[in-house]
Amino acid sequence: MTVTAGWYMALAASLFTIGAAGLLLRRNALVMFMSIELMLNSVNLTFVAAGRELGVLEGQLSVLFVMVVAAAEVTVGLAIIVAVFRNRATASVDELTGLRG
Amino acid sequence: MIDYHALAPELLLAGTVLAVLTVDLLRVEKYWVAVVGLFGLFLSFIPVLTLGFCDTLTFCEDTGTRFLFGESYAVDSFSLVLKALFLGSAFVAVLLSVGYLESDRFWQGEFYFLMLSSVLGAVVMASSRDLVTIFVALELVTGPTFLMAGWRKGDPRSNEAMLKFFIIGVLSAALLLFGMSLVYGTTGELTFAGIRAEAAGIRGGDLEALFTVGVLFTLLGFAFKVSAVPFHFWTPDTYEGSPTPVTAYLSVVSKTAGFVGLLAICYLAFRDATFLWGPALWVLAAASMTVGNLAALRQTNIVRLLGYSSIAQGGFILVPFGAAVAAGVTDVQLEEAFFATVTYLLIYAFMNLGAFAVIIAGGNRLRSAEIGDWAGMFGYAPGLATMLAVFFFSLAGIPPLAGWFAKFVMFRAVLSVGGGWAAALAIIAAVNSVIAFVYYAKVVKSAFMDPAPEHVAVADLARMPTVPSLQFALVLTVAGVIVLGIFPGIIAEIGELTKTFASGF
Amino acid sequence: MLDQYFGDYITVAAFIAVGALLVGGGMFASSLLRPDKPTKVKSETYECGIDPVGGGWSQSHIRYYIFALLFLIFDVEAVFIFPWAVRIEDFAAAGLGGFIFVEMVIFIVILLLGLVYAIRKGVLRWE
Repeated sequence: MTVTAGWYMALAASLFTIGAAGLLLRRNALVMFMSIELMLNSVNLTFVAAGRELGVLEGQLSVLFVMVVAAAEVTVGLAIIVAVFRNRATASVDELTGLRG
Repeated sequence: MIDYHALAPELLLAGTVLAVLTVDLLRVEKYWVAVVGLFGLFLSFIPVLTLGFCDTLTFCEDTGTRFLFGESYAVDSFSLVLKALFLGSAFVAVLLSVGYLESDRFWQGEFYFLMLSSVLGAVVMASSRDLVTIFVALELVTGPTFLMAGWRKGDPRSNEAMLKFFIIGVLSAALLLFGMSLVYGTTGELTFAGIRAEAAGIRGGDLEALFTVGVLFTLLGFAFKVSAVPFHFWTPDTYEGSPTPVTAYLSVVSKTAGFVGLLAICYLAFRDATFLWGPALWVLAAASMTVGNLAALRQTNIVRLLGYSSIAQGGFILVPFGAAVAAGVTDVQLEEAFFATVTYLLIYAFMNLGAFAVIIAGGNRLRSAEIGDWAGMFGYAPGLATMLAVFFFSLAGIPPLAGWFAKFVMFRAVLSVGGGWAAALAIIAAVNSVIAFVYYAKVVKSAFMDPAPEHVAVADLARMPTVPSLQFALVLTVAGVIVLGIFPGIIAEIGELTKTFASGF
Repeated sequence: MLDQYFGDYITVAAFIAVGALLVGGGMFASSLLRPDKPTKVKSETYECGIDPVGGGWSQSHIRYYIFALLFLIFDVEAVFIFPWAVRIEDFAAAGLGGFIFVEMVIFIVILLLGLVYAIRKGVLRWE
């Protein structure tokens, strides 16, 4: 059996779903954050698989940009979590209920 | 070789960003950082003008639409108009921030650095014509705003606003990217022109389902960015918790950037897929208007009220998109819809920035954002109360203030399409305009008619001056709202220029 | 080609198996010979010294995070230098070498400005 681009797409879609489920179900900001990273990486897999299938470089090129943007987001995100943790000593989003209405 | 004239606004703005960072390192008073930032914004505005009036200038070679980096980056009348809007709005947003940041112990240098980086993203966004560029631009717009939302580091409410905004922002980026990767996978193209050409061959083929999913995920990502209902729940919390100048920035520049991306991607890349995005955006438009307005009715906090109001305004901006739902919509009708959206965005920027300027000025005096505390403002600050009335009535769409023209072109676009669905959307929009008037008028009535509450020290408040930078911002926006309302021809002319964009390349 | 590739892995697997056998055999042989008298004291982490107190987790200094964040962002920016380094010779051959070189210099100067900023703000000082 040969592994075609379709299988990579299916894998990427599964990873994306796992990430989305993790984001919706988990309540720890760090774990939610890791779920988002999983979603972004599944996108990378789709890009690479599509680029490989079509025989063009743009897919891999896009991945470089996604990686750097993801890293910038990680930096911002961890800084935010550290800032919140300093005030609250918790990383659970369930305790953030000050703003409602 | 690279056309440096076409890139000059971006290059100058990027230079300003670095200059701001460097000035922050020098041992000077921190407001100099803002001065450098304002000067840089003004400087980058000049090439936008020279590019716009290229055909009348002797030194400039008019080449029509300038494409750079293949077809990934276009400098045309649409992108120039939007660049001017972003630079102008950012100018006002910096003016709003100066007084606020000076009033307390905030990190100032970094704030302007982040805000200008975000503006750079918005300016790049207006020219982006491929998926990767638009994604990088969108992330450059939102990335710094996460941090700006939490600028009051010690305040738990600001923390909460920041964390919620961040998680939703990154989630929407992931959804958007997933959609983009599927669109790329099925069409094999990153540029909008290429996607449009390839998309025609996909209809009825094996890949059609995958392409549809890609388009819908892309729209979903943008729906979060422009806070359309049902993806709006982060908006009121983030708007209330953030420092008010940041809220003003978010509701105008960041939101407009989202709409610009949506315009470019819908009208260029997915031009022949109106049957996909038309119905989806019809639903979002109707839901945003209704939910936004109904929720705004029962708000007691004025910032939160404007948060819901901006969701509802977002719905009005989406209405022309939704009009594309009709089968067999023609190019002329799409151009009209495009014109309506751009015009609405231009006017919305003036009136919403103005409304926030009033709220910041009032908040400085009262130290409260509760509408009850704003009662009787006319008694001790008649100028401020009058401006509150001007901006709120403009948002409600009362002639002769600019807002009426925005609503007028919006209705004209949707009615020109005709058909049951477009008519239904027009009726929903009309009902919502009435609901919106109720809550805008309620605040104005309270400021003019009701007596001031007892705990408000009227005599002290009457003597408090408004910060000069804030006065400047108020004058700019008030002039804009009144002049554009009385002479809507100006904005119509600018909108006309962008129409050619909608007819494709 | 592919057989050769997997053949190398068989060699690695054989070495792992032999290694495991030697260590496992030695321990088995010594367990047959030595006396076996387990006590509570013997199963503690250290037979001498103070008893371990507190949890296994401890907070690290906040500076670790700032260093980690700075490292992360500079590290990933290097991704953009790779394609440039691979392609620069082709551009040089086409007569665009100077232009492409200056582009990268600008990129690195911007990164350096970020580093200078971090140093001036005292983030990299470890006290």
